[in-house]
Amino acid sequence: MADLSVWWDDYFWGAMTVLKVFGVSVIMTVIFGLIGASAKLSKSRIAHKIASAYTIAFRGTPELLVLLIFYFGSAITLTSITHIFSPETQFVDIPPFWAGSFAIALIVGSYATETFRGAFLGVDPGVVEASQALGISNVHTFFYVRIPQMWRLALPSFGNHMLSLMKDTALISIIGLEEILFVAEMATAVTYKPFLMYMIVALIYLSITTVITLVVMGLEKIANRHLEGAP
Amino acid sequence: MTFEFLLILESIPKMLAGLGITIQLLFLSSFFGLCLGIILLLMRISGRWYLSFPAFMYIYFFRGTPILVQIFVIYHGFPQFEFIRESIFWPILREPFGCATLSLSLNSAAYVSEILRGGYLGVEKGLHEAGMALGLSKYHRFFFVTTPIAVRLALPAYSNDFISMIKATALASTITLMDMTGVARTIVSKTFAPYEIFIAAAIIYLIITWFFQRGFGLFEKRISRYTIR
Repeated sequence: MADLSVWWDDYFWGAMTVLKVFGVSVIMTVIFGLIGASAKLSKSRIAHKIASAYTIAFRGTPELLVLLIFYFGSAITLTSITHIFSPETQFVDIPPFWAGSFAIALIVGSYATETFRGAFLGVDPGVVEASQALGISNVHTFFYVRIPQMWRLALPSFGNHMLSLMKDTALISIIGLEEILFVAEMATAVTYKPFLMYMIVALIYLSITTVITLVVMGLEKIANRHLEGAP
Repeated sequence: MTFEFLLILESIPKMLAGLGITIQLLFLSSFFGLCLGIILLLMRISGRWYLSFPAFMYIYFFRGTPILVQIFVIYHGFPQFEFIRESIFWPILREPFGCATLSLSLNSAAYVSEILRGGYLGVEKGLHEAGMALGLSKYHRFFFVTTPIAVRLALPAYSNDFISMIKATALASTITLMDMTGVARTIVSKTFAPYEIFIAAAIIYLIITWFFQRGFGLFEKRISRYTIR
């Protein structure tokens, strides 16, 4: 345990980084998911095709590969662009934090697209027609009628997506983000206690995922509060 | 920066050499995962707390932590202990391939047992009671009444899990295993052409997932041929 006390600080800040990545990418995931679902349900055939290609591509390729494409791809593109303006630059990249958050949000967003699509289809069309009959604009219908109702249906699966998002954050250490897995690697190099150090990472992730599960359960209760006693 | 198609054509044969390891990893770990998953399922539905509680804890741990962390704990962590280095399993645990197979199997077992449990709980109670009324023994009921229906109910979720196993095998490249992603990463570090190589690898993965998805779809159709839609 004496070996460990030196590293608590690093683990704490690493965990903070993980939570930051999680926070940023949850927001992006919801946005990508809503855009994807709207595109899949729209009448435009092109939007539908694009959304289908998006879900097939991101659900079928390994997360690690997507992350590597985004990080190294963006780095090489940016480097060659800056070369035009200042030839002496060596290497420019998007910070791993943003490249990583964006990549995992795109991946989980492709799953969320399917969930949201199913949830939108689960909203009673009569309710939407009623709001049209009342003269509520399309935008207002979307945000005040469809979303509050689809949310209830989407929550259980979306909770699972949040868990997999949380677990995907571990991958970002591979492209060099200084989060807990990275801390464990450093700590191992000093203390030669790899099992202990990686086990702590596992336990930190376990506690975060437990909290997420509990929060999702609470949210489900809030979302379903009008349905007390209903089947 | 140019997009070189020639490079893709050159690198595809090399990556297909890594495909062998990816497929081996996939089949071995889903086989062991399925076996262990069935054991865990039997423990969980046994109704005895000293069997179901350890199974629950196992599933909770392996579903709550990232696979990458599990791989690192096993690959980097286990050699810390003297007794593991002296055990008969050391020749397996010394190799990255053995570690990757072990961690992917352990991980998939947790998910598979939950999927199977979902299928098991989805079987109608009435069928069970009908079996009882017909005088079938407990084992006959389990094997000939519950299992066929539970398998049918669990198959869609299992195929999803199998697909995510394909994607999880890519993580083995982080422990120096030369699977398809590993080969792609080495080629990229030499040529520094991430778009060409990684996208080519991604397309190969897409083809594999598509292939297995089709296979599972056909299998699903076959085993649900008695159900009326």
